[in-house]
Amino acid sequence: MRVVIAEDLALLRDGLTRLLRDNDVEVVGAVDNGADLVKEVLRERPDVAIVDIRLPPTFRDEGLRAALEVRAKAPDTAILVVSQYIEQTYAAELLADGRAGVGYLLKDRIFNVSEFVGAVRRVAEGGTALDPEVVAQLFSRRRKGGAIDDLTDREREVLSLMAEGMSNAAIAESLVLTVGAVEKHIANIFAKLGLAPSGNEHRRVLAVLAYLQSQGSPA
Amino acid sequence: MTDIALAPTPDPVSTRNLRRGFAAAAIAAGVLVGLLVMIWALAGAGYFWPIWPASGLGLPIGILGWVTWVLSDPSRRRVGLGFTIVAGIFGTIVAYLSIVWAAAGAGYFWPAWPALGLGAVLLVHYLIVRFVAPQAEMTERIETLTVTRTAAINAQEAELRRIERDLHDGAQARLVALGMTIGMAEQKLATDPDGARALLAEARGGAHEALSELRDLARGIHPPVLQDRGLEAAVRELAVRSPLDVHVTAATDRLPPAVESAAYFIVAEALANASKHADPSRIDVRLERNGGTLSVEVVDDGRGGADPEGAGLSGLRKRVEALDGTLRVASPVGGPTIVRADMPCAL
Repeated sequence: MRVVIAEDLALLRDGLTRLLRDNDVEVVGAVDNGADLVKEVLRERPDVAIVDIRLPPTFRDEGLRAALEVRAKAPDTAILVVSQYIEQTYAAELLADGRAGVGYLLKDRIFNVSEFVGAVRRVAEGGTALDPEVVAQLFSRRRKGGAIDDLTDREREVLSLMAEGMSNAAIAESLVLTVGAVEKHIANIFAKLGLAPSGNEHRRVLAVLAYLQSQGSPA
Repeated sequence: MTDIALAPTPDPVSTRNLRRGFAAAAIAAGVLVGLLVMIWALAGAGYFWPIWPASGLGLPIGILGWVTWVLSDPSRRRVGLGFTIVAGIFGTIVAYLSIVWAAAGAGYFWPAWPALGLGAVLLVHYLIVRFVAPQAEMTERIETLTVTRTAAINAQEAELRRIERDLHDGAQARLVALGMTIGMAEQKLATDPDGARALLAEARGGAHEALSELRDLARGIHPPVLQDRGLEAAVRELAVRSPLDVHVTAATDRLPPAVESAAYFIVAEALANASKHADPSRIDVRLERNGGTLSVEVVDDGRGGADPEGAGLSGLRKRVEALDGTLRVASPVGGPTIVRADMPCAL
C-alpha cells in the first residue's frame, strides 16, 4: 500500500512516516502544505492520502480543501483526514459526494497503531473510517423518543461500529461475537430503524449517518 | 528618572524654554527701559516720558510672566488652564490701562469701561469652564474609553489566538508524537524488546519536553512568581534569568494584579528585544511608585533603532492604555533605548 502524508509539524510528519514504514506501509511522499499535496498525489498516484486538516497558510481547514481537491482530481486515491479536533461539519463535507474511500479521524486514534494502520488499509481499499467521536456526537445529539431508543445496548454498539465504517468481521472481533451474531444484530437494527439493508459497507455508513443526522435535535 | 529623553513629553521641555524666553525678554526690556531712563535723566528730567515705552513693554512682559508662572506648576491652574491664563492677561491689560490713565493725568477713570468689558468676558469664560466644559470632558473621556476598550479587546483576542496556536503546535503535538511512540513500543514488545525499550526511552524524553513547553506557555500567560511574590520579585527573577547584565532598582509593594501583570510583561518584552537586537553591555530596570502612578523604565545602552510600533510593544501598549496608562519608547540609532510605562494604580 502506498501513501502520501500532508502534515505541517515536522515532529508529527516524521513520527507518522516512521510508524507507517514500521508497519509495511510505503510512504512515497510527505509534504507540509495543501498545494504540494495535490501535486504529489497527481504525480505518485498513491492508494491513500493522509492529510492533517490544519495546514498553512491560515491553519484553518486548508487540509480539508486540499483533500477534496485530491478527491476531485484523483478519484482513485482515497483520503483520510486527521485532526486534533472533531468538527461535525467537516465530516459532513467529506461524505457529501457519497463516494467511498474516505476517513476522518482524531490524531488520538494513531496511538493504537494496529487499529490505525487497519483503518488506513480499510480506507485505501474503498471503505470508510469515521472517528468514534464523530459517531458518538451524532448519537448524543438525537431527540429522545426516536426509534434508536428501541435498540438494545448491544444493537447500539453494533450501530456505532457500523457508522465508523467497520466491516462485519471487524465488528465481530471488536465485540467478541461471531460474524453470524453480528449479521443478525444488523438485520434487526435495520428493521427497527426502517432502513433498507445494503450490502455495500460504505453505503451502509452513509445510510446510518443520514439516519442519525435526521434524528438530531434542532441545533 | 530620565523624563527628558522621551518623546512626546511637552511639559518639562517647553516649560523650561518658556522660562528662558521670559527671562531673556524681561532682561532685554529692563535694559532698554534703564537706557531710556538714563537718556531722560541726561536730557534734563522733566516730564517722565519713559513711562510710555516702559508700560508699553510692561504689558507683553507682564502677560508672558503670568503665563510662564501658571504653566510651571500644575497646582496653579485649579480652575482650568485656559481660564487662569485669560484672567491673568485681562488683569495685566487693566493694570496697563490704569497706568496709562494715571500717567495721562488721572481724572475720569475711563479704564472702568474696558475693565467692565473684560470682566464680562471673564465671567462668561468662568461659566463655561464651570458648567459646560465638564460635559465636553466627559464626552471626550467616553471616546477615549471606547477606543481603548476596543483596542484592549482586540489585544486580548490576539493573545488568546496566540495561546491556542502555541498549545496546538507545542504541547498537543508533543503528546500526539508521544502517543505514537508508545503505540509503536507496544507493538514491538513481544518481537523486538530492545527496540521497544529504545522507543520508551524516547517517549520519556518527549514527556519531559511536553512538560517544559507547558511550563513556558504558562509563564507566558501568568508567571507563578508574579502571583506568589509580586512584581518586584518577578522582575528580579527576569533579571537573573537573562543572559545580559541587568540591574533592578525597585521599591514597590503589591499592586493591583492587572497593573503588576502589564508591568511584568513590559519588562520581559523590553529585555527580550534588547537581547535580540541591541547587544547592550548593561540594562537598568527601574520600578517606582509615585503617589497613584507606577512607573516602569527599562534602559539599555545597546545600538538602539528599535521600532516603537513593533508587534510585542504594540500589544503591550494597548494593554497599558486600557489601564489608562502610557507606554513610550525612545530608541535613537546608536542608543540608548528607553522603554517607559506609567500606569495609575489605585491606592
